[in-house]
Amino acid sequence: MFDRRKFIKLAAALAAAFGTKGLSQPAKAALNEIDPRNVPKLLYLQGLSCTGCSISLLQAESPSPVSMITDYSQLVFHTDLSATSGAQAMELINSFIDGEAGDYVLAIEGAIPENMPEACIIDHKPFADYLERAAHTMSGAVAIGSCACDGGIPAAEGNPTGAIGLAEFYRKRNLTQPVINIRGCPIHPDWVWHTITHLALAGNPSMINGSPRVFFERRLHELCPRYYDFQEEIFAEKLGDRGCLFRLGCLGPITFADCPTRWWNGGRTWCVDTNAPCIGCASPNFARKKDLPFYRLSEGKGRNR
Amino acid sequence: MNVDIGPITRIEGHLNVKTTVENGVVIDARCEGEMFRGFEIFLRGRDPLDSQQITQRICGVCPYAHAIASSTAQENAYRLNVPPNGRILHNLIQGANHLYDYLLHFYQLCALDYVDITAVLEYTGKDPELSKVRDWVKAEVDSGKRYPAAPFLPRLSGKYLNNRDANLGAIKNYLEAMRMEQKANQAAAIFGGKFPHATSIFPGGCTQEARIDLIVPYQSLIREVRDFIHHKYIPDVLAVAGAFPEYWDIGRSQGGFLSYGHMPLGPEPDSRRLLAPGVLFNGEVTAVDFNQIRQDVNNAKYSSPTNLQVRDAAITPQPNKRDAYSWIMAPRYAGKMLEVGPAARVLVDYTQGHNPTVKELVDRFASQAGIRPAQLNSVLGRHLSRAILAAVLADFLLAESQRLAPGQPTMAAIDPPASAEGFGATEASRGALLHYIRIENYKIAKYECVVPTTWNASPRDDQGQPGAMESALIGTRVNNPEEQIESKRIVRSFDPCLACAVH
Repeated sequence: MFDRRKFIKLAAALAAAFGTKGLSQPAKAALNEIDPRNVPKLLYLQGLSCTGCSISLLQAESPSPVSMITDYSQLVFHTDLSATSGAQAMELINSFIDGEAGDYVLAIEGAIPENMPEACIIDHKPFADYLERAAHTMSGAVAIGSCACDGGIPAAEGNPTGAIGLAEFYRKRNLTQPVINIRGCPIHPDWVWHTITHLALAGNPSMINGSPRVFFERRLHELCPRYYDFQEEIFAEKLGDRGCLFRLGCLGPITFADCPTRWWNGGRTWCVDTNAPCIGCASPNFARKKDLPFYRLSEGKGRNR
Repeated sequence: MNVDIGPITRIEGHLNVKTTVENGVVIDARCEGEMFRGFEIFLRGRDPLDSQQITQRICGVCPYAHAIASSTAQENAYRLNVPPNGRILHNLIQGANHLYDYLLHFYQLCALDYVDITAVLEYTGKDPELSKVRDWVKAEVDSGKRYPAAPFLPRLSGKYLNNRDANLGAIKNYLEAMRMEQKANQAAAIFGGKFPHATSIFPGGCTQEARIDLIVPYQSLIREVRDFIHHKYIPDVLAVAGAFPEYWDIGRSQGGFLSYGHMPLGPEPDSRRLLAPGVLFNGEVTAVDFNQIRQDVNNAKYSSPTNLQVRDAAITPQPNKRDAYSWIMAPRYAGKMLEVGPAARVLVDYTQGHNPTVKELVDRFASQAGIRPAQLNSVLGRHLSRAILAAVLADFLLAESQRLAPGQPTMAAIDPPASAEGFGATEASRGALLHYIRIENYKIAKYECVVPTTWNASPRDDQGQPGAMESALIGTRVNNPEEQIESKRIVRSFDPCLACAVH
């Protein structure tokens, strides 16, 4: 009833819809200016974000988040952790962005409201202004999470702000800043922190499609412990069933991330282990289209109105 | 003088407060929410089952509350018969998330307003963690860097704890709290799939199974967190209260209180709850009626009509609207301003004498601190309310997990109808959270969220009444009007989440 031929056809249709062909953009994200002998100073700013990536960064275990921001990097500013605030905080942020406080890496969480700059304001100025100024002083940038990489949920079809990711923001302004993209909604803390430790200890990580190769090289489906179920055609028929979740809408076949081998929250679990289909949160087109729902439960109903 | 005290840090998101200070007293305060994404706009036309996923991305600090509110709204819309395990798993996932959030708020978001981090330089003991922090701070301060020991310095001027042992204990617990928050989140993720942003929560239950090999690790993690709550968190809250007793009288909001009640005790969405729902005005509690909620936008940056009910909600952004000063709408209940959050949850329940443990803990701590229960409406009162709720919830979660029936269904079968509508109300850690969904031709026709910080950080309504936080700031005496550490302690006591407030 649901043979492999149908699977491949459906997977191809999904890949076309999600535009995975567009993934092979030039992998020119390199922070060459960083001197590995000095730990990176991270200036962490948020745009159209939910802070989920910041919260996820606090779920790291080895090294701990505190060790990450004191031993392997220095977190010069983060809105959720910094003691400072108000004018004192702005003096700190501006001194880095104006190039007066030494080298720094710009860490961005959240999308940029390209068509509505007033939709994200820091100290009376649009978020975009800080990004433009930083382009001339930073060593490089890390886009943390699907919003910062591609717009993410704020860029969903029909959004009113024209949300885009950091790399596109710079491309549109002919600013050729190196951006490392770390997708995920949220990111897995290892994906970001291990990238930072790599920068601190060994320089640039090996990249694929603008992201660190080690985390994003392979499709989730290839790595999935339920690949055997797929081969044996043991499919979950309804939500809550075990087995391969493809028929319910699992986007593992077109999502590049190592969740199946890394697991989440201290290695205790991950989506598919709880029988929940992958919703493709690390995909560049995550949640983008209205007519591509996360789950294939109501197939045929209300479609193609 | 006029002073903008933003950007306010150690909260979620983009908040400025415009203040006017005369003779050392804040005589006016305006909360400016400065970020807008438009969730209710781009949810339209989507598959309704996308909504418990999409709305979690409103807030990555309390995503599970949005998943539960959305799932409950859909359960009401689809008229699902939720199996007992399904409701219990919702509770276990959301409850563990509350425990993490209370610890995160007190330690990572607020402690640096009270604790003197530089006290670690005097540490002479043998604790490896404190020794390491001491050596790091010392090396940073000696390094000649422009901003040494960031992000923990620089800090605002003001009075900090001056008891060396209390400071060192709090710094140690700041670090341990981060591990405890992870444990609470791991417990939630065992059933939720991951934290933040759970994929296993659906209307009608949870895709994860009720298995012994999952239940036991959940209980073990919650027990560790429970011990920390009793032995570290509650004593630290009381220590701060002992050193800053003036904050029992600072930061009092000037309206009523709203709680939707928390933790349904049965499978039906409208089951009796662990904490009772209600609206509290002048000592009287009345039942919640969603039709009494209207959202004003005269001072918010929207051109859509003002004073609409939740069911009729509309949202058209107008970024340069004249005189509007915030992206946050002004929800009001029967025209009145309300505070939501931990103090509201405790006071609404306590006033009704509903949960005996809440009553016992409020009476005990109020007597210890020499305050009246009504003083939970204050900076310290909000902190103490969270501690009380954490203690009540940790015990409830352990008992609730015993009620899971291993091997029994954890989900209802879902078959969304062509047209339907439903409300879903729950308590996020920050307060009362309401979702409304209307489905037409199998797609979302309308989605509306009325979120805790929308209430608390709201601008003036159309009648000119300030929001809860604005009203709590007005009248505050500040030593340094440029910095206003006192005002920031008030703002943080509400635990504002701007991504929630505007979404």
